[in-house]
Formats: sequence, C-alpha cells, structure tokens
Amino acid sequence: MTTQAKEPWAATRLPYLGALCATFCQKTRAPGASYFEVLPFLISITAAFLTLSGIVLAVYYNPWHAFDSVQFIDRNVNNGWLIHAYHATGTTMIFGLTYIYLFRAILTRSYRAPGEWVWMLSVKLLAVLLLTGWLGYVLTGGAAGYWSLFNASNVALSLGGLPGAVGVWFFGGPAGGGTLARLEVFHVFLAASLLLVVWLIHASRKTIAAPAPARAVAFYPYYLAQYFAALAVFAFIFVVLAFYAPHLGTSHFNRIPAESLAVPVGAGVPWYLAPAAGLIGAFSSTGLSIFAVIAAAAVLYALPWLDRSGANGAKGKLYGFFIWVLALDVLALGLTVHGGCPYAATLAGVFTAWFFFHFLVITPLVTAMEAE
Amino acid sequence: MAESAASHATAHGGSRRDFLTLLTAATGAVAAGTILWPVIDALNPDAASEGAAHLIVNVSDIAENTAKTVQWGGLPVTIRKLTAKETLDNQAVVPSSLPDPASFTDRVNAGYPSFVVVIGLNTAVPCALEGDSPAEPRGDFDGWVCPCDGSEYDPLGRVRKGPATKNLAIPRYTFINAAQIQLG
Amino acid sequence: MRRFLAPVLALSLLAGGAARAEDTLSPLQFQSQGPLGTIDKAAAQRGYQVFESVCAGCHAANQVHYRDLEALGLTPDQAAGEAAAAGGTLDSPIKGAAPMDMGGAAPPDLSSIVAERHGTKYIYDFLTGFAPAPGGVTLLPGHAYNTAFPGGQTAMPPALHDGAVTYADGTKASAQQQAADVAEFLTWTADPNLDARHQIGFRAIIFFGFLMIIAIASKRKVWRASV
Repeated sequence: MTTQAKEPWAATRLPYLGALCATFCQKTRAPGASYFEVLPFLISITAAFLTLSGIVLAVYYNPWHAFDSVQFIDRNVNNGWLIHAYHATGTTMIFGLTYIYLFRAILTRSYRAPGEWVWMLSVKLLAVLLLTGWLGYVLTGGAAGYWSLFNASNVALSLGGLPGAVGVWFFGGPAGGGTLARLEVFHVFLAASLLLVVWLIHASRKTIAAPAPARAVAFYPYYLAQYFAALAVFAFIFVVLAFYAPHLGTSHFNRIPAESLAVPVGAGVPWYLAPAAGLIGAFSSTGLSIFAVIAAAAVLYALPWLDRSGANGAKGKLYGFFIWVLALDVLALGLTVHGGCPYAATLAGVFTAWFFFHFLVITPLVTAMEAE
Repeated sequence: MAESAASHATAHGGSRRDFLTLLTAATGAVAAGTILWPVIDALNPDAASEGAAHLIVNVSDIAENTAKTVQWGGLPVTIRKLTAKETLDNQAVVPSSLPDPASFTDRVNAGYPSFVVVIGLNTAVPCALEGDSPAEPRGDFDGWVCPCDGSEYDPLGRVRKGPATKNLAIPRYTFINAAQIQLG
Repeated sequence: MRRFLAPVLALSLLAGGAARAEDTLSPLQFQSQGPLGTIDKAAAQRGYQVFESVCAGCHAANQVHYRDLEALGLTPDQAAGEAAAAGGTLDSPIKGAAPMDMGGAAPPDLSSIVAERHGTKYIYDFLTGFAPAPGGVTLLPGHAYNTAFPGGQTAMPPALHDGAVTYADGTKASAQQQAADVAEFLTWTADPNLDARHQIGFRAIIFFGFLMIIAIASKRKVWRASV
C-alpha cells in the first residue's frame, strides 16, 4: 500500500528515487542466495567506514611529524584511540573480506563467462587495496613502516629507464621528511579509486545477474534481512578486534618511532601484506621480484582464459582440491616473511614456484581433463 | 491445506515477526549511532586545546605591586597583586566619579581581593599596556598606562584618564585554590 | 614539591580504598593484564613517584603531560601543583632528562616503552633482572648483565634499590615493589585508554552479540515466511 502510493510522488519530483524503489521493491531476484554473496556489500561498507575514520584522522595527522601526530591522536583527541582502532581494524577486515571474496570466486568458478570482467575488477580491487594498505602502514611513522619505505624507495630509485623514472616520480627522491606528505595524498587518492572500483564491481555484477526466475523475491524485506544479519556478524567480529586487539597482525617494531639508527630485525609487514612480501622476498634480484609481482597479477587476470572447462563446464572436484592447496600455498608464502626461519628465502621460492605452477600448468590441464 | 497452514502461520507469526523486525531495526539504529558518535566527537576540541582553553595559571609567585602577563586565547591576561595601601585607597574611590563607574568589589574576586585579573589591552586603541613592574611607567594612578594614546588606568584596571572610556576587560576565571587561577 | 605530593597522594589513596600494595608481589600480578584488566591507579601513582625520583634522571616521557595525571586520580589543582613544582604548566610534558650518551646508547623515551618492548612483565623482569655476569661472559665496557634483556648485556646500570624512594601511602619501597609499580605506571603511559577500551569493549561485545542474535533470528523468520 505504502510503496504504490508513495512512488508517484517521489518519482515525479526526484528522478532516481523511482528507479531505486524499482530495484529494491520489485520481485526480480532468485531466493536462497548464500551469505557469501553479501561480501561485496560488506567490502563497500568497510571502505566507506575507512573513509569516514580516515577523514577524522587526516584532520589531526601531520606527515612531517608522523609518529608524534599519531601519538597525539591516540592520547589527546576525543576518542582518538577509538578512531585509530576503527581505521586499523577496518583495514584488517577489508583485507580479510577481499581475500575470502577472491578465494570464493575461484572456488565457485565465477570467473568464467560472463563473469570475466567482474573477476578482473576484483583482482584490480586487491591490487589497489594492497598499495593503499602499504601506504597507510608507512604513514604510521613507525620503525617497521619507515624501513619498508626506505627499501622500496631505494629499489625504485635504483631502477633504470622508464621504470626508474616512474619510481622517482612516485617517491620524489630518497625517503626524507617530505615523502610522507606526498604519500598521504596518494593514499587518499587510491582510497577514492578503491570506492570507484567497488562501484564498478557492483554495476558489473548487476549487468550479468541472471533473469528473474519463476518464484522470485524482492530485495525488501527478503535480502535486506540477510544483508543486515551479515552486517551484524561483521560488526560483532569488528568490535571484538577493535577493542581487544587493535594492533592485530602488525609488528611491534612499528610502535617504535621511525629512526634511521633503529633497524628492525625481521621484515615487520602487517599480515595482509605478508603474501605479497613473501613473493617479493623469494628473489634475490630486484628485477626478478618486480617481474614476479607483475606476473602474479597477470596470471590472476588471465584465470578466466587459463581455465579450460568452458562456460557451463563441470566444477571438478580435483581442481577444487588444488584451489584449497593454492590457499594453503598463499598462507605459507605469507608465513615465510615472519622472520626467524633460516630457510625462509628457499621456502618462499618453493611456494612462489607452486603459485605459478598452479595457474600455468595445473589450471589448464586439470580443468580440461575434468570438462569431459 | 498447505495454504491455510501458511496463512495461519503468517497471521499468528505476523505480529511476532513485526516485533522482532522492529527490535532488530531499533537495535541496529542504536548500534549505528554508538559507532558513529565517536567519529563526530573526535572533531570536538582535543585535550591540548581544552587545556589551552582552560589555562591554569600559578599566581603564588607574583610579588605584591607587580603583575604577571600570560597569553590566553590570543589575548594577554594580566594578573596583578595589590598592596594593602592600594586596596584601601581604591576602595575609598567613589565609583560615580569615574569615567566608567565600577566599585572595588566589581573588579576583584570576593574570596581573593588582593588579585586583579584583566585583559592587558587598552580599550580605546588595542595596544599592550605598560605598568606590570614598578620600574615601568604607571601613570598618575599607579596602575597601567597605554604607550599608544596615553590612557591611564588604576591598579584595579579602571580607566581614569585619557581617550579610553571603558575599564579594562575582565576575563572569566575561577580560583581553584589560593595559588592557582583557571581561566575560561 | 614533596609538601604537595605526600598529603595529596595519601588522601586520594585513602579515598580510593586501595588494597595493600605488597599483595601484588606474591604472586606477582598486574591488574592491567588480560582482556578485563584495568590500571591499578594506586600502583601507577607510586610508579609515577619512582619515575620522578629515579628514572627521570636519565629517561624522558615526553608524550605524557601533567594534565594526563588527572586520569590516575589526581585533581586538576593537584596536577597543576605538580606542574608548577617542576617549573611547567599542565600542558608541559612530565619532567625528564634530555637525551644523553651512555657509551653509544641513548636512554629511550619511556612513554610507550611497554608497547615498544615486550610488555608489562618484561619491564618488571628487566628492572629486577640485574645480576653479576655468569662465568664465561665478558661484559662490554659500560654495560651491565641483565637476565631479561635480549642478548644479556644492557648499557643501563641497575637503578632500583631498596628504600631509595619513600612512598607517600606508606607502602614498603623494596626494589621489587618499585619495579612492579613503575611497570604499572609505564603500562598506563603506553596505553592511557586501557580502562576505557576494556570497559566500552565489554559492553560493546554484549550489545553487538545481542544484535547479531536477533538479526539472524529476524532473517530466518523473514525467509521462512517468504518461502
């Protein structure tokens, strides 16, 4: 009753409200979707929340006295410690959600046609997120972040030709007083582009969504209830982490102010950057490391075409088993960064080799075999 | 039979579902508010600004017949300790004879009458005053004098002579104990 | 300065009704540890006294201001009195030493030392861990042997001695008591919001746990009704 009566009033005054109601109130969706389908929505909410807490942090943050300004936020700003915890826990949550989302996309083979574009956008999301997260970690002004920046900028500045020029352009010279000022701006810009990528994923998913089946339901109240329940579970986990483990997964070296005479023992990257750091650390040559990172992104983008099972092919159990092995491999790659193991570089090499072997050899062969 | 069972369930469970939905929505709204309020409150003045806004000044080190000036909120605040003679003399002044009438009790805190707290700027042309220490020129009334336009004030900060027509402004302050004043 | 500190601390502690401090030494326990921990304000005030008298000779704690001491139970004028006695204002950092050279190592700022190193118990172990070097260990010049310090040799000389500090609340100031109190004080300086975080977090978990349960129940009812 209310929906039908209101619609003409709103639709004649504001053009998009009518379309909004059509999306949410008309019975166009198949019932019984899994909770995992809510992940992109949760990622969007977390991104919005990170933006909000980031704005407040940016008011008080000073890139020229980074560590001291973060201490000021924690100690003197009203609820500053909580805003800081929101931002740090939000980062952990968004990476966790994105890793789970990508893993599930591979597991359910949703990268196959017509989902190639959504898949590639999702890989892009991870890439932008990794860079944004790394910049954020560096911005804290702690010893571990500073050393990560020092190493990365030295590598970038030592490159020759075009890559070197891009490196010099990005860092603006050797790591010094003003580096964090520009990295803060890049962090904000990348975070904004993250929101754009998330919106594109949402729009693409809508485009390829299956047509309404015979027994269809509307978003309201059917899926609203599911989305809200998922959000409540997410909020519960968020609250537990924000209040009781605000520094989860970060190195305690990062609690020391950045100082060129204090060198951390061990890499000290946060947990969400560990697999990427493991990939980079598997090679002793800089050029090879950079090539490996680009190659890893490339094989991920190419997955829809490496999978030879066809658009409606069977989802074979053997390939499913190998996907779980891949997950363990990525996890193990992250653990090699933890420090302390004398064979870390060798193990990282082994796990990196398996990563590429999975995509370049196992994926085409096993999926082709199981398609028959 | 299935339909009647379903409709029976809806009729019976309908009101219960509405209550649960209402409770969930209300709890969700409260949750959103409690999460978002700290984000808004974080932009309220931080502890350092609050400290500067409610500055505590130690007055136990001010000698009689001298004054101390501190910066507060962009303004100089002068705190002066009166001698017993100055107190008696200024209590005797008839307020109606002054350009800006004010009695002794209007200008000092009842519990601590030997301290005068004023904004140390001339009320005509905003200019810092001289007269904090006995060595500086204090004008005919032994208070403060403005080097810019020659206005003269008495030790209570009341204007006595010159282009100025209003007494020195008194900021909001409280004595939190005999040795400390909190401004603001 | 002492004339401010002693009656002030004694009054505030009597008002708080704190347990006898020696109870925390056997067995050694810190009220601030664990998810439901809170800062032991009496111990932290004693620890501040130790910091002022002993540690501030070489260390600074520039992130802590006199106005922050109000969180330990001091009233604003008591805190202002502390500040005035040290020649500063409420917004000054608490008095500490300028950075100095101890044979190549500088005494670190203690504001966040509990977070930078290995926690509250580590600070206690370090302060009570000075011992004569065992056989076979050659001490570097200017270094002391410490059982808790990674590597065993630290450039810091043993600092706490029995009775070096006279506590305002009358607690016996053994070296272990001083170490325990300073550890609690430094736990507070590293994480001044610990109490708020644990208290609000506890209530938040109960509230969001409740919200999670009714949200899932609501979803199941909606789905059952629609099918």
